Amino acid sequence: MGSSEERVVAVIMVGGPTKGTRFRPLSLNVPKPLFPLAGQPMVHHPISACRNIPNLVQIYLIGFYEEREFALYVSSISHELRVPVRYLREDKPHGSAGGLYSFRDHIMEESPSHIVLLNCDVCCSFPLEAMLGAHKSYGGIGTMLVIKVSAESASQFGELVADLETKELLHYTEKPETFVSNLINCGVYIFTPEIFSAIEDVFKQRKERANLRRVSSFEALLSATKALPADFVRLDQDILSPLAGKKQLYTFETLDFWEQIKTPGMSLRCSGLYLSQYRHTSPQLLASGDGTKKATITGDVYIHPSAKVHPSAKIGPNVSISANARIGAGVRLISCIILDDVEIMENAVVIHSIVGWKSTIGKWSRVQGEGDYNAKLGITILGEAVDVEDEVVVINSVVLPNKTLTVSVQEEIIL
Amino acid sequence: MKALILVGGFGTRLRPLTLSVPKPLVDFGNKPMILHQIEALKEVGVTEVVLAINYQPEVMLNFLKDFENKLDIKITCSQETEPLGTAGPLALAREKLIDGSGDPFFVLNSDVISEYPFAQLIKFHKSHGGEATIMVTKVDEPSKYGVVVMEEGTGKVERFVEKPKIFVGNKINAGIYLLNPSVLDRIQLKPTSIEKEVFPKIADERKLYAMVLPGFWMDIGQPRDYITGLRLYLDSLRKKASVKLASGPHILGNVLIHESAVIGEGCLIGPDVSIGPGCVVEAGVRLSRCTVMRGVRIKKHACISSSIIGWHSTVGQWARVENMTILGEDVHVCDEIYSNGGVVLPHKEIKSSILKPEIVM
Repeated sequence: MGSSEERVVAVIMVGGPTKGTRFRPLSLNVPKPLFPLAGQPMVHHPISACRNIPNLVQIYLIGFYEEREFALYVSSISHELRVPVRYLREDKPHGSAGGLYSFRDHIMEESPSHIVLLNCDVCCSFPLEAMLGAHKSYGGIGTMLVIKVSAESASQFGELVADLETKELLHYTEKPETFVSNLINCGVYIFTPEIFSAIEDVFKQRKERANLRRVSSFEALLSATKALPADFVRLDQDILSPLAGKKQLYTFETLDFWEQIKTPGMSLRCSGLYLSQYRHTSPQLLASGDGTKKATITGDVYIHPSAKVHPSAKIGPNVSISANARIGAGVRLISCIILDDVEIMENAVVIHSIVGWKSTIGKWSRVQGEGDYNAKLGITILGEAVDVEDEVVVINSVVLPNKTLTVSVQEEIIL
Repeated sequence: MKALILVGGFGTRLRPLTLSVPKPLVDFGNKPMILHQIEALKEVGVTEVVLAINYQPEVMLNFLKDFENKLDIKITCSQETEPLGTAGPLALAREKLIDGSGDPFFVLNSDVISEYPFAQLIKFHKSHGGEATIMVTKVDEPSKYGVVVMEEGTGKVERFVEKPKIFVGNKINAGIYLLNPSVLDRIQLKPTSIEKEVFPKIADERKLYAMVLPGFWMDIGQPRDYITGLRLYLDSLRKKASVKLASGPHILGNVLIHESAVIGEGCLIGPDVSIGPGCVVEAGVRLSRCTVMRGVRIKKHACISSSIIGWHSTVGQWARVENMTILGEDVHVCDEIYSNGGVVLPHKEIKSSILKPEIVM
């Protein structure tokens, strides 16, 4: 685009504590972006994908969690990637575009030629290098990652229409009631710095409209009902939708997996998607074993180096075991996330479940979910420090932290 | 004199309220639960209260500094690093409880509310000259609990029977004890049960006495009993002709309203209601058998019964909230919504009715 030096800054929106009640009970103990999927914090996956961007100079995490929640993670990942990673705290939610805009000085510090914007709770292959190449060839101010989904599920997302040849974004609408298109917005974008002018224009327009409104008291009544504050600007509805069809925005389609990680059930599914991705990108992270010296492993499994797994256990598919967990003799684990310091005693079975930090699972007990990642009680979730006594069965239930289960339960939430 | 209050753990039975504050600080009758006990202890001359806890000391300590200053009583924490049962914490706090004076010390269970007749307890303890006195209370269904079998006249305890299958008596341990320092010599620093291990030994030596607790008694560690307990507490305030109770044409039965709360026109409040500081109850609201905590706003024409509304929540216009609905902190029930036993975790908005008892996370 005429700039001789290409520099890319990545921005990842991580949200905040009051927004994520759907991620309870896990979010009672850890901010959602730091919940581990396939052995790594959720936010680690988009950050890791940024590695593949040539000329990446900075990564910003923007959210409204307390700074100290991210301090440790940010300093260790900066060190590991050798790219500065910083957490910027919003004083209150400003919407996806508002947040980006309020930190524009930080983002433009290194005079980037391109800005990659990612949402932390999106699970996909993040084909950023290819997307950046496409963006440069289109010559617009922004490119959005899009994917085809089933017609029924499309209405949960932002639906869009793109020109089949030029890939230009022609039309965009958020969660429409009638069918518009089965092509949806993935929440991954590449922008040139002109995006900030586009956001500024929207602010200006809002101010002008507000000035006009003072004239009519009826209008004042209208605007008083559930209006968003003037500084809450959503990227999709407020910025991108009006720019559709003006040769400014383009699309890049991915044929790989894509999911939103809104609930604990989905985090289990996405952990599995990332584990299967490791098979191509980082096979050394996956465990292996055949029951002789190490436990039998089937399918994609991650085991933290400090975890201890008895050789007679059988693990997988889709299992992730975190630090210092102890898996006893004869244990069977299928499709589950076992968090730090968990102890699973002999012959226990865990299926379609998330077992919280420091919990213990007794001998011959069975902790199981149905495996419906979208249902309210579709997987079983044990919060921090839950003790399941020997031979107890827990099915499709959610147990809050610090509880002891002495009798079997089904389809229950235990506070 | 000294006192030990067994606060214990996570208060999971009082969730969602205890997701916001530790259990001893959950308000009851417009005062933190534990303050009721501390005030009663202060009244009989206790100079130091030790809280045996195993959870969130930092949150507690800030509040306690405040109480210490207001009440002029020393409050310290004794923190368990592993669960020590019902007797172990006494051993852990040994140094704090023995001051060389030979005075007996109180041990209270933090979930218990009653009239705390500590002066009578001290008198009885001194008169029988035994080593330990426990207060007992009469219940309708003794086989759910540990029953204390005692001699009618003297109160000397013969034995304890856990969940008896046949009727052996109807008095159960009320969770209020007055113990001589020598009791501490019987308790090692390890998980120990005071009812199963310590008291039976003292009873065998004929040195354990029991006193029937006059007045009301309730273990308010879970929501249903909390609401019943409020009725008993307000009833006892009425018997003492307390000026704290509200009166007026819009008040029915026993009602406690904090002086900073604002009540609108045309409301009917009571029986058995407590309304906390800074609450706003708008016009035309009906409240019965419920607790409304600090900073809550109840909007016009709403109707609430048998429920607990957590701090800073709002209940919308024409909403109907009943049947053991428990709203955690900062929960907003929209206009015209019906909640039948909804248990709602903090920071939620209820936009659709809850037709049968359900936990909303």
